[in-house]
Amino acid sequence: MSASANQRSRKALACTQRATAFQREFGKELRRRVVEDREPYAIVQADTPHELFHAMDIPIITNQWWSAYISAKQLSTRYFDAMVAKGYPANSCKYCSLGLACTLADEPETAPWGGLPKPTVMVARLTCDCIQQVFGQWSQALGSEFFPMEAPAWTDKDPQWFANSRSEWERVYQPDRIQHMVREMADLIALLENRTGRTFDEAKFHHLMEQINVQEGYIWEAAQAIGDARPCPVSIAEQMPNTMIPQWHRGSDWAVAHAKEFRDEVMGLIASGHGASSNEKLRLMWIGAGVWHDPGFYQALEETLGAVFVWSMYMPFAGPAYIRDLKDKPMEALASRIASMNETLHLPPWMNSWMVSEAQRCGIDAAVVLLPPDNRLSQSGTKATTASLRAAGVPVLMIDADMVDAKVWDHDRMVGMVDSFLREEGLA
Amino acid sequence: MIAIAGPNLPHQLLHAAGRHGGALPLTPDRDCPRAGQWLESKFQPWAPRVLEHWLDGDYDHFDAVMFSRADDSSQRLYYYLCEMQRAGQVGGPEPLVFDVAKIPRQSSLVHVAEKLRALADQLSVDESALEAAIRQGNAASDTSAPVGTGPTCLVTGSPMPDARLLEAVEQGGFVPVGQTLEQSWLATAPVEEGTGDPVAALARALHEQDSGPRSFAEPSGRLRRQIAESAARAVIVWHIEEDEVRTWQLPSLRAVLQQSGLPHLVLSRRDWLAGDGAAIEIAAFLEGVSA
Repeated sequence: MSASANQRSRKALACTQRATAFQREFGKELRRRVVEDREPYAIVQADTPHELFHAMDIPIITNQWWSAYISAKQLSTRYFDAMVAKGYPANSCKYCSLGLACTLADEPETAPWGGLPKPTVMVARLTCDCIQQVFGQWSQALGSEFFPMEAPAWTDKDPQWFANSRSEWERVYQPDRIQHMVREMADLIALLENRTGRTFDEAKFHHLMEQINVQEGYIWEAAQAIGDARPCPVSIAEQMPNTMIPQWHRGSDWAVAHAKEFRDEVMGLIASGHGASSNEKLRLMWIGAGVWHDPGFYQALEETLGAVFVWSMYMPFAGPAYIRDLKDKPMEALASRIASMNETLHLPPWMNSWMVSEAQRCGIDAAVVLLPPDNRLSQSGTKATTASLRAAGVPVLMIDADMVDAKVWDHDRMVGMVDSFLREEGLA
Repeated sequence: MIAIAGPNLPHQLLHAAGRHGGALPLTPDRDCPRAGQWLESKFQPWAPRVLEHWLDGDYDHFDAVMFSRADDSSQRLYYYLCEMQRAGQVGGPEPLVFDVAKIPRQSSLVHVAEKLRALADQLSVDESALEAAIRQGNAASDTSAPVGTGPTCLVTGSPMPDARLLEAVEQGGFVPVGQTLEQSWLATAPVEEGTGDPVAALARALHEQDSGPRSFAEPSGRLRRQIAESAARAVIVWHIEEDEVRTWQLPSLRAVLQQSGLPHLVLSRRDWLAGDGAAIEIAAFLEGVSA
């Protein structure tokens, strides 16, 4: 890891601090419920139906959030090394396996929360070949039960999915895929009711789905405004936490209120002409997961080159991925959301079509694509997207780096690569 | 004709339709100068070869190519090819994907049966034709059975591009038992005959088939079974750099090998084309075993 890694990012919004403070408190509360009170809880992938757990008030630890938590404590290298020492090859996929590595390392003295207790269930959607291995072994190591979910083939491909996802979701996401996921969710609910003694309240779930529409509507409204605004009022370093933290708590009163506060603050900054950079000259797009161990990376070239990362997938994804006209079919609407999250971000034609559309909407000058060397899922679709963006006139830099493994990330070198790329393209 | 490119596919149904075009042929050692523009590094090495052949028009004589959802490289290549065809960047046969579901749960089994029924309708295959194809398939011999006499050496792990590693085993004085990529794609599981519902029977067989990256079969149990069935006197576990599945199984496979007491060689993160001296290492290993 570079000595310059883990640079802090600058914050312009008051709500960013409120979001991170809420998440800190939530982390403590989650720890209390899971570790001290030993409530039934679940470890789940990000692209699984969290809404079911929220509706049943069952605490969840999202694998990606837990990975980021471990990574932020600078422990990723230690645990990945421990996994290699246990006989796993060093090139195993990093993004989804840090939690497993932490469990296998079995170091209560270093592990966050002293390590995780046995969850009631672990849930993952099988979007790649290795996730069933990771969750299967992790659940064995924790003495838990693995509930895998299928990622059915998607043969009805609408490149304009993002324009039709809200109202035509039955067609866009393919009826048989939706139906299959509804069947799986019914099985999952039955399992949760059986294991926890809690009941699934359909009315509460319906209300939650309505609230999520409201919440994501605020985020989407702010995303539209940021795309139109010159200069960009908020860097992606602030877009991400204000989108993602409420999304971990989607549909809750706090999440809806926070999304509204965020929208209002963004609108206020736009009205006052505030820019994330004082001399915005270039608008950049970040394609890939967040580099959680070095958030300052995104703002490193704002003042020197006026290069502002105005776009990452998290915030604009709120609209097409989350908002659904419920049509009195909330479970089907949820299935359409879950059955497509990963595919639309990692497979053509959905990924490339959406990102070209977003680049045009946001006036993007250049894009930077993360290409993690040991993660097929995160790599997936990046070259097709690069080709589509270039065909649309957007220069693209692809960088080989891992968003979790700090060992292969060097802040200065990465910033230097972007700097050189922009100069070589004649943009800076 | 419909060629296939992936594991756990409904061969019996394609045979019943008279449209099975065999495994998609590919030349492992060929250069892939254009495929790298589209495919990222973690695709299995066969995928860029297939794309390169596709771009050359080598598959134009097929009507379609069926990919498998039970293999990540296979299913992703399906989406990439569809997109490249949509953008007019490649022609050739129609890419298809068979949506085989492997989770050991009733909803997944139902899903496979639904997909098979849809495919049977599409290919105009009736139940009697499928039943006949199932009987023929069951009667076919196991392609991985040892050929020759003498002590056997099991080569297991990533599907091999061709027989080059098996030949190295043979030269070491052992009868090799192992599966090439083509054999792994063409492998079938036994299907129950005479059930009155051959589609449901085939669905069960595909759903439970214990080979392929998405199998839920316990890997250590599978290795024990392979050792027993092949009566192996030595075992080589060979995993390529791009293998995202078996890499997770290595600790448990090592434990099985230790327990078996058999001489074994573990080759992890290796070159698919065996250009890294694997054949020499195999020769040295088997020489030690023979001695």
